[in-house]
Amino acid sequence: MSDAAKRWGLLAVALVTPTAMIATWASAAQTRLKETASEAKDVAIASVSDDSYCTPKLKAIIRRVAGACGLIEGGGGRGCQPLEAKKVAALSGDEFNALFTPLSKRASIIQFDSGKTDLDPDGAATIEKAWSDQRGASFFFVVSRASTDGSADLNETLSRDRAKAVLTHLQGKFKDEDLKNQVGLLWLGEQYAQLGDEFCTWNRSRTGACTELEINRSAFVAWIDCAI
Amino acid sequence: MEPLDGGEPDHDALEESAYATAATRGPLIVTALGSLLGAVFAALSTSDFMQHLDRQVHAIHCSFIPGAAKELGESGCKAVMMSPYSSFFRESVWGGVPVSVWALATFAYLTYRATLLAWRGKPTRAETSFLLLATALPGLMSLIYGYLSVAKVGSTCKTCMGIYVSSALVFVGALVAHLKNPAQPEGSSTLGRSVGWFGEGVAFVAVLTVTYLVFTPTADKKNALQGCGTLVSGDDPNGVMIPLPSGDGESAIEVLDPLCPACKAFDERLGASGLRGKLDLKAVLFPLDPSCNWMVTEALHPGACAVSEAVLCAGGVAGGAKDEKAAHAVLSWAFKNQEKLRELAAKDEGALRAKLEATFPNVKGCLGKALVKSKLTKSLRWAVGNAIPVLTPQLFVGNSRLCDEDSDLGLEYTLSHMLSKEGRLARAQLKPTPKAKPAATPEVRP
Repeated sequence: MSDAAKRWGLLAVALVTPTAMIATWASAAQTRLKETASEAKDVAIASVSDDSYCTPKLKAIIRRVAGACGLIEGGGGRGCQPLEAKKVAALSGDEFNALFTPLSKRASIIQFDSGKTDLDPDGAATIEKAWSDQRGASFFFVVSRASTDGSADLNETLSRDRAKAVLTHLQGKFKDEDLKNQVGLLWLGEQYAQLGDEFCTWNRSRTGACTELEINRSAFVAWIDCAI
Repeated sequence: MEPLDGGEPDHDALEESAYATAATRGPLIVTALGSLLGAVFAALSTSDFMQHLDRQVHAIHCSFIPGAAKELGESGCKAVMMSPYSSFFRESVWGGVPVSVWALATFAYLTYRATLLAWRGKPTRAETSFLLLATALPGLMSLIYGYLSVAKVGSTCKTCMGIYVSSALVFVGALVAHLKNPAQPEGSSTLGRSVGWFGEGVAFVAVLTVTYLVFTPTADKKNALQGCGTLVSGDDPNGVMIPLPSGDGESAIEVLDPLCPACKAFDERLGASGLRGKLDLKAVLFPLDPSCNWMVTEALHPGACAVSEAVLCAGGVAGGAKDEKAAHAVLSWAFKNQEKLRELAAKDEGALRAKLEATFPNVKGCLGKALVKSKLTKSLRWAVGNAIPVLTPQLFVGNSRLCDEDSDLGLEYTLSHMLSKEGRLARAQLKPTPKAKPAATPEVRP
């Protein structure tokens, strides 16, 4: 083989081989790009929570209560009268309380002294902890009650002021614009959905003895993880 | 046998040539083999780079052994490949022209030259001298890239090391060949022949570059100008955004997780691209950690919630001016120590929180408290309010989202297009994503 043949042969091999490789790799990438461009991308979109306990029935009731009690933007003024809550929920007291059973790990019960509506430090801290654990929930329920001691009218006023004490504390502590769209107050007085002493085992702001009377001098607070 | 480049043979010259052939053949074979090895490593590197032109994630070669299996996931090779030093002209071509293409061209050329001289024999001094000069190029580039790899990228790449070793081998082979080549009288056409050999080398680089540019997949112009999707609103009513070091250009939002390796890499790429200065950049924290983020079920980055809290605490959770420097300090530290922090949190999140407080005393009394937890929830709910995908990192220029497939190799190309006058006009025509509606119309009082 002549020197010239060696030179041109080697030159051709050395130049054509990498050139062909680059052309092949680029063409393969082009083909894959076309194939993947037509595939749908399955990426989750950020959304609020919709927990497994949010059954259609529960959602319907929460929607009704929330809409009527002002928890949903544009749904009316905040706060429901005791009888209204019963009316919109269209449930017995026990059925109403049963709605919140799945929230046993999420809810807190803020306890008050008899005849009082002032928050003690533990109550305030419990509210803050509950509020800061919003995660993906959309509505913060404050359901306040009074024990059956005293008159029904007084107890209604007490339960209303207890709910408002929770709201006032939240407003003062967090200065959060979203409060007006996320917090719904229901004051039930003594007339509707009294808590049984089984709720004494839930997360409470006070430790120690707990009777049915004491557990109802309270505000039940919880984020609701339902997308409604 | 005739002299390659013409001229009249004589006995003395033939004797000299025979000696030159015997003395230089060994080192020239070493040079040829070294060049071939370098070409193989450069081809692997080019192949790895080019498979990413389909905008997907792929395994890549990362071994001193050329035929070893590919690796998926983070590695020094991946970090180097994704760095802005792996290719040139990134703002003009999607991904740029990989430097490994030029390495491949150079080694292919050196393989050709060294093989020719070894096979043909009787190399002249001019030929071995030129070969020595030519082999200095990959040697010099190896020194430069070795420095960039260690000093700028902070990772070393085994495939690149293969190229560096090959470069050294090639240079040493050419040097020995030249030293062993006896001095010969050079003809007057030495310079002309050298120019010709140089021209051949340039042709190798040119042919491979043109082939790359002709066959490489073209970018989607619409995506490059408008991005992929828009925000509902880029507003920050709850003050969750953290200003990041940047310029005073167009408003941009980086959605990130402080313990996410891809976020760290993206942030570094953005900084190295030189385009950060054209943005007024803010961060929204989006930790992919179920301890605070209800949108993820697995702890992809354990401890990310605690570190995010620390960033917010350092910046100041209350209203008013934020301490940006303090927030950056926590974020930079988290990026730097991601792996250790994730490991620590996976074992004991309390220990991570203690470490955060020990390292940044200014977060004491804030970390883990209701205010900062609420603030972090607001940050996550900013993502909900804007209906963005559950992934990190994400970059929004104005209200337009940089496409995911353009966030690595195509970052400079796409971002420079989005920021161009044409891109601004195209983005201005986009409508914001509509606000998500409730699943059903709320019932009112019956």
